[in-house]
Order: sequence, then C-alpha cells, then structure tokens
Amino acid sequence: MIRHALLLLVLVSACRTETAPPGRPVQDDLGRTVAVPARITRIVSLAPSVTELIYAAGAGSKLVAVTDADNFPPEVTGLERIQALPVNREAVVVLRPQLVLASEQVNDPRDADALATLGIPTWFVVVDSLGDVTRAIRALGMLLGTEPAANRTADSLDALHAALLAAPEPPSRPGVLLLVGDRSLFSFGGQSYAHDLVRLAGGRSVTADLTTKAPVLSDEFVLDAAPDVIVGAFGTEYDPARLLENHPTWSAVPAVRNRAVHSIDPDLILRPGPRLFSGVLAIRDALRAPTPSP
Amino acid sequence: MRTRILLPVLIAASLVTLVAGVGWGSVHVATLDIVTVFRDHLSGRQPTDPVNDAIVWGLRLPRVVLAFVVGSALSVVGVAMQALVRNPLADPYVLGLSSGSSAGAALYFLGFVPVALTGALSLPLAAFLGGLLTIVLVYAVARDESSVPVTRLLLAGVAMSALMASITSFIAFVSPDPNKLRSVLFWLLGSLSGGSWDIVVWPIVVSTVGLVVLLALSRPLDAMLLGEDPARSLGVPVERIKRGIIGLAALMTGTMVAYSGAIGFVGLIVPHATRTLVGVSHRRVVPAAFFAGGLFLVWADLLARSLIPGQDLPVGIVTALAGVPFFLVLLRRHRRPFA
Repeated sequence: MIRHALLLLVLVSACRTETAPPGRPVQDDLGRTVAVPARITRIVSLAPSVTELIYAAGAGSKLVAVTDADNFPPEVTGLERIQALPVNREAVVVLRPQLVLASEQVNDPRDADALATLGIPTWFVVVDSLGDVTRAIRALGMLLGTEPAANRTADSLDALHAALLAAPEPPSRPGVLLLVGDRSLFSFGGQSYAHDLVRLAGGRSVTADLTTKAPVLSDEFVLDAAPDVIVGAFGTEYDPARLLENHPTWSAVPAVRNRAVHSIDPDLILRPGPRLFSGVLAIRDALRAPTPSP
Repeated sequence: MRTRILLPVLIAASLVTLVAGVGWGSVHVATLDIVTVFRDHLSGRQPTDPVNDAIVWGLRLPRVVLAFVVGSALSVVGVAMQALVRNPLADPYVLGLSSGSSAGAALYFLGFVPVALTGALSLPLAAFLGGLLTIVLVYAVARDESSVPVTRLLLAGVAMSALMASITSFIAFVSPDPNKLRSVLFWLLGSLSGGSWDIVVWPIVVSTVGLVVLLALSRPLDAMLLGEDPARSLGVPVERIKRGIIGLAALMTGTMVAYSGAIGFVGLIVPHATRTLVGVSHRRVVPAAFFAGGLFLVWADLLARSLIPGQDLPVGIVTALAGVPFFLVLLRRHRRPFA
C-alpha cells in the first residue's frame, strides 16, 4: 500500500517537473492566480463560448481540442473532441496542453484543481454582460500573444455595441419574452445579460424583474405578462405553431394572437461569447418582422 | 369522527379548496375578475377578459380538477395496497409502482416504444405496463408462502424504484433532444403543470372506476386485514382479489403518472390520516381517503405554484417534503399496524 502511494507520488512529481516550466503568474477572471508559460502554442477549450472567444481573439490556431458540444466557427470540425460535462480529465492530460481555458458558467473549478496537480494550468473566463465579451477577447489576446488581432476584433465589436446603444429611443418598446424551452418554459431572470440583448434590439424583456437566475415560467405568468413578441431559442427550423399546441391557453397572449412568435439559433443567445452581438441583431430582426396576415 | 359529520365537512372543504385553487396562483387575479370568468361561462357568454379567462378557466380550473383526481386516485390505491400487504407503510411510490409507470411513460414519450392503438391511449398504456411489471416483480420477490414480510417488501420496492428511476434517467441521457431531457424531470419529480381540459377526462374516468370497484370490494378488503387464511375461511376469493387489486393499482397509478409524473407519498399520508379519523373499515376509509387525497394534492399543488412568483415548482417536491418525515415517523412507530 505504502509502496504504491510512494510510486504514485514519484509519478505525479515526475509529471509536474516535466510539463510545468516556471510561468508568469496571471490572474484569471475568477481572481485565481495561474502560472502561464510565456509562449503558448497548445491550448484546450472546455466550453463552446470560450472556443468562440479564442477564435475571436485570433488564437484559434493554438487550439488542439474543443468540447463535444462545439460547432462554431466551422474550423473546429477538424479538432480533437473531449467530453466536457463532466470533463474527461484523462483526455485533457493526454493532449499535453500548456493551458486549459474554461468558462465559469459551464466548468467546475474542481476540474481545474485536479488538472493543476498534474501540472496543467487552467484559466477561467467570466462573461456576464456584453461589455465582458470584448474585455475577455482583449484579455485572451494578451494571454495568448495575439494582441493585435484580438484588439481589432474587440474594437469592431465595441463600435457595433456603441452604434446599437446610440440608436434613437423607439416610440414604444414592445414587451419581449425570451424562451429557452417550448414545453418547460425555461427563460432568463435576475441579472442576466439576455435583458441587455433585448434592450439593444429595441424591446423590453418581460422577465427582467424575476429574482431567480434561470426561472421555469408558469403559463399564468406569460398570460399576465402579455408579451408582444416571443423569441424562442428553438432553432431556425422551429414551427411557431407548436408553441400554441404546447400551451393552448396562449391564444390570449398578444404575441401569439398577432403571430409575432419567432425562433432563432439558440447558440446566438445562450453562449456568452462574441456571437451575442449577432443575437442582438437576430432579436432586432424578429421585432422588426412584419406581422404575417392571418 | 362520525361519518355523518365527516361527509358535510369534506364537501365544505372541497368547496373552499376549489375557491382557493382558482383564486391563488403564480400571478394575481382579483376576486371580482374570477367571479366574472365563472359568470361568463355559466351564462354561456363570450369571455369579458380573455387573459383572465385563460388563467382561471383554461389553466387553474383544469389543474385543480387534475390535482384532485390524481390525489384521490393515488390515495385510494394506497388504501388498497396497504390492505393487500397488511401494512400501513405500503404506497404506490414506496413500492416502485410510480417509478415503474414513470419509466414506461418516459420510454414511450422519448420514442423508445412503438405507438400502440391510438396515440391518445398509448402514453397511459405504456405507464400502466411499466407499473404493472414493477409491482408484480416487487410482490413476487417479497412474497412468502402465505405472507408478505415488510422488510422484504420495502427493500424490493426501494430496489425496483431505483432501477426504474435510473432507466428513466438513462433514456433521458441517451436521448439527443435537450428539450426532452428537461421534460423527463417531469416524470421523475411529478408535476401538475400539464393540466388542461383535453387530458383530464381519462384520469376522471379511471379514478371514478377505481373508487367504485374498491367500494364494492370493501367487505373482502376488511376480511383481508385479518390475514389471508381467515379471509379465505370467510369465503373471500383471496387470490382473485389480490390479482385484481394489483391490476387496478397499476391501472390507476399508470394513468395518473402518465399525466402528472411520479408524485410521491400521497398514498401513504392520506390513508393513514383518514384511518385515524374514521377507523379501519374500508366502507368508510375508501370514500374518505378519496376526498382527502384529492384535497391534499390540490393544496400541495397550490403551494407548489405560488411559492415562487411567476414559476411552477414540481408538486412532487412538496409532497416528498411533507411525506418523508411522516414516513420516517410511521416507520419508527410501526408496532400497531392497523390500530
């Protein structure tokens, strides 16, 4: 028993000395101090939103693996896949990355601790708002040595953000309900960035005042909130009539009555990454869509 | 308590419960508006306010009806199963019947079972078969020559319950559609959020049939409490009754689970509380438990849907929070089974 433990200790320390050169200490978004190598060429992403941020920062070519849920940008198709929930730690170790990038929304810091004992540092990204997106892109550019590209992307996204903010106040803001599920009514509550997307698109999110972060709405709530437009994250192929099938009483909801039910690519609003700005535009298109005649 | 007093009390309680059930919810509707909705419907007029109408008549009322029907059915199934195994710790949830039905329903819902008969009947049928298979297995494993030892029964129930729940979860995980994964939580936790006029018909029919059958069986059930041999000597066809009860329990639980998921502990708390009020005679216990179970679940659901504003909690969480402590106390005190 003791001999086994000693052997393990030797092996672990062997790994440590082999793969962890003394790096510069950097603070990640969670305030953890991470020792990061000076020149990074091999990284692994543990969340699709982080992958998109890395590509936006111009460091996509350094990725050796992404999660099995990744599908954007198209370049990820050629990369190795690892299971992210729960993280397949062995698969990460085998890839010998110099740095693992994780998302506070998806990943568990315990995975980072486990990888750290094996000499692999993990850097956490936190994106809670649209402003965080460009901040994270710049930070990743600095971290991965692709600052010029990262700053270019961030500058153009900031310009888009500013233009959206500068849009004239619409005469009236339609009430918008963002839905994640069409049967169980998962939605956004509390301090979610989703309400900012709706506001920038020219609407008013009807779930902004709920205290729960990820509420499951009741049918009554939707009837009472009476949204003018419903935007579902059900994919672009979704048939809006299904919503009324699942919730027959909603024929009294203005959005349903006026056929203002739209469905967009869920990744545009569910992944806290650069495509949130595309999400704003998709919601804006939904709000501007002409009401189809019955 | 005398039956004479009990009946008016239960009817009055039902009325109060109905009023509370449509009056409270996750959003506020003024009392006057609720009265208007009912007036519109009773006089056949167009709804004055379509939103209030949808909330009160389209959502709350069918939900209250579904809650009542499911609660009453689960409760009398509890009565029947406790008579069957001569032990107050038996109930459709504890013995795995509910999880078995859930697994059947989930298998069908996620497309792992072919559509049988018509689409409308397939879901309850799948739930019924899942429940039947589970309870037959539990009973067969637990049974001795002439009795059903409690320890073995509960352990078999727990084991089958866990197996069926893991089957439900497994299906959810291998199912590619993320939305479906969420709806499987519904089968596991139990919720009345699906209540609508379209689906309450079958639960109403099945629970009424169950009530009538069990009332008709009240004498043999009383005799079964004495033990199988004494019952047999009184001329009760014990084996047929037992098979009948198992089939009826699976049918009732399966139907309810198909529309409301696995709601636990109603069949445990309510029969026990009812017996302390009306005694052990099934002629009184069955109807009293029917009403009390319905009322209990309406109130539990009211709590579930008004606890967090704008949101629905699965009612199974509420009944488990109330039921598990009760079960533990019962387990501890379990010396006088039917006193």
